Amino acid sequence: MRTKPRFRSLAPFMLFALTTSAAIGVGVAHPRHPRPRREDDSAQKFNEGEKLFRARCGYCHLAGGTGTIMLGRRLGKDHALLDQRTDLTAAYVKTITRVGLNSMPPHTRIEVPDTELDLIAAFIARPASAHTPPASPPSTRATHE
Amino acid sequence: MPVVLPPNVSEKNFQKALDAFAGVVGRQWVLATDEDRYTYMDIYAPGDADEHIPSAAVGPQSAEEVQAIVRIANEYKVPLWPISRGKNLGYGAAAPEMPGTVVLDLGRMKRIIEVNERFGYCLIEPGVGFFDLFAHLQERKIPLWMSVPANAWGSVVGNALERGYGYTPYGENTRNICGLEVVLPTGEMIRTGTGAMSNSACWQLFKYGYGPSWDQAFVQSNYGVVTKMGMWLMPEPEATLGLKMQLPNPDDVGWAVDALQPLRLSGVLQQNPSIGNSLRVVATQTPRSQWYQGDGALPDDVLRTILSKYNLGWWGIDLRLYGYDEVNEAHAKIIKAAFAKHTKQEFEVTKWHRGEPIEDSGAGVPATRALQIINWRGGRGGHLGFSPVLPASSEHVLKQFHSTKKRYEEIGVDYYGSFTLFERYTTNVNMMVYDRDDQAMTSRVRNLFKVLVADAAKEGYSEYRTHLSYMDDVALSFDYNNHALRRLNETVKDALDPNGILAPGKQGIWPKAFRGSRA
Repeated sequence: MRTKPRFRSLAPFMLFALTTSAAIGVGVAHPRHPRPRREDDSAQKFNEGEKLFRARCGYCHLAGGTGTIMLGRRLGKDHALLDQRTDLTAAYVKTITRVGLNSMPPHTRIEVPDTELDLIAAFIARPASAHTPPASPPSTRATHE
Repeated sequence: MPVVLPPNVSEKNFQKALDAFAGVVGRQWVLATDEDRYTYMDIYAPGDADEHIPSAAVGPQSAEEVQAIVRIANEYKVPLWPISRGKNLGYGAAAPEMPGTVVLDLGRMKRIIEVNERFGYCLIEPGVGFFDLFAHLQERKIPLWMSVPANAWGSVVGNALERGYGYTPYGENTRNICGLEVVLPTGEMIRTGTGAMSNSACWQLFKYGYGPSWDQAFVQSNYGVVTKMGMWLMPEPEATLGLKMQLPNPDDVGWAVDALQPLRLSGVLQQNPSIGNSLRVVATQTPRSQWYQGDGALPDDVLRTILSKYNLGWWGIDLRLYGYDEVNEAHAKIIKAAFAKHTKQEFEVTKWHRGEPIEDSGAGVPATRALQIINWRGGRGGHLGFSPVLPASSEHVLKQFHSTKKRYEEIGVDYYGSFTLFERYTTNVNMMVYDRDDQAMTSRVRNLFKVLVADAAKEGYSEYRTHLSYMDDVALSFDYNNHALRRLNETVKDALDPNGILAPGKQGIWPKAFRGSRA
């Protein structure tokens, strides 16, 4: 019989160079300068991943959602919003999506197909330099977006 | 992990069936890895989730693909367990009753085919979630409201087919069903009601059709796979008026039910309010360990401390009037007068008018926050719903409340109950929240459930819905004339589904081929 997966600890904190000022320039939502083609591709990929994240994970993982509240309680407010995290690897995101964690149920490949999960995981695990500050205070976002 | 195959199916034939399914839906949508099987198990199960493990899942995108899959299932005698979005949480989630059954996951069928504003209905596929339909209505500014359950992650169709409910005047979701498209267990497709006319002008308007009416025969049943559902939606009212009150004492639920039931019956109050114990609210917001770390159920004095800290009563009531301002005001006056006979407390009154934020309106707005209750005990949380239906009177409600609470305390779990009030009956949903890492606790909960089913049956109460593991237990309590209704159900089952391939064991209805699997 399969050992029941139990994830108690977080993935090791990933160290990314903090390039706060540069981050404004490569913002996913509002690119301000023409980018070399390769970065365009990854910006587009993160954009796609963000859309999918909101559609598939947003039920619980936007501001005010169950997952956000639970993570905030467990790990502190700084770690509550998944799309603001800089310490998660794509592999970790994919594993947790498929096996669940605490009260979070596993997600099937019909609910979130592998191709979509790849994009979502890449978005969550995007380098800190690709993070943009939230456009508005998170608390004003509706949970049903 | 060895694959649990369906009974009497060889590995070779199972593989052939999967290959044939892949020929219909594409290899990508036949899910048969260990990880896939795991994702379809009931992670909140009371006990070992392996009891209801599927062998695989297949995801069609259209009704025609469903037909093709059903025909293949007949050829290889492979049983199928249809799910809409698989979020039947607390009742088995996406898992099948019989181990080895292949899950027929309709989650890819997500079309909102029609929304009719004039006549207040939609025609949708099973994969459409509450969030999807809500977004569709909001984005297009269609002034129709949905009835939404407390945890709205699931499917609109699936919830109505399981007789779920919401809290608006359209809150009895199964009552809103009007016209189904169904793939029968042989693969043949039918439409119910007037949809049986090839050019019906009234499929989503007139429920009954001509002759026997079949919609409800496909609800909580294993007679067909619903591929489209007509569902009535409520026109947005001009205004709503909310009345909230906290009831301080455990027995206050009795007079509250007696005061409200006549007002439900006469139509003064048109929605079905839920009277729930306040511990449920606290449990969604804090872990139990913050309040109490001792053994046994939460002691009454600890509960009192918690409730007074949050200024909560033992029960909370949340009523809502929908319609024209003047009418709401008049109805509110009648409700207030009925309550004044029992309490000096005043209602907290809120008002909403068209154009103001919908979140404050009393419309069905999807959310998943109710799920947080699972974390109350810590560990890998599990939850299970015991949900008997009682006559809506204090005599029944108080007796059932006290006897259930006592049973909970006997095994050391905290009581979470609510009474949702319809015109004549009340649905008493009792949650059991447990830590699945604590085997002793899980096992006590498992036994408690059977005791509660037996207790309820002695009083003449049935459950409105139940977890996979208790489908046979509940079916057994329908014992009139030596289980004559079950014989009828199974006679129909065998006639419609001679190979028994569709959802064996659903609601305790077993086809001939698998009748030996009855618990």
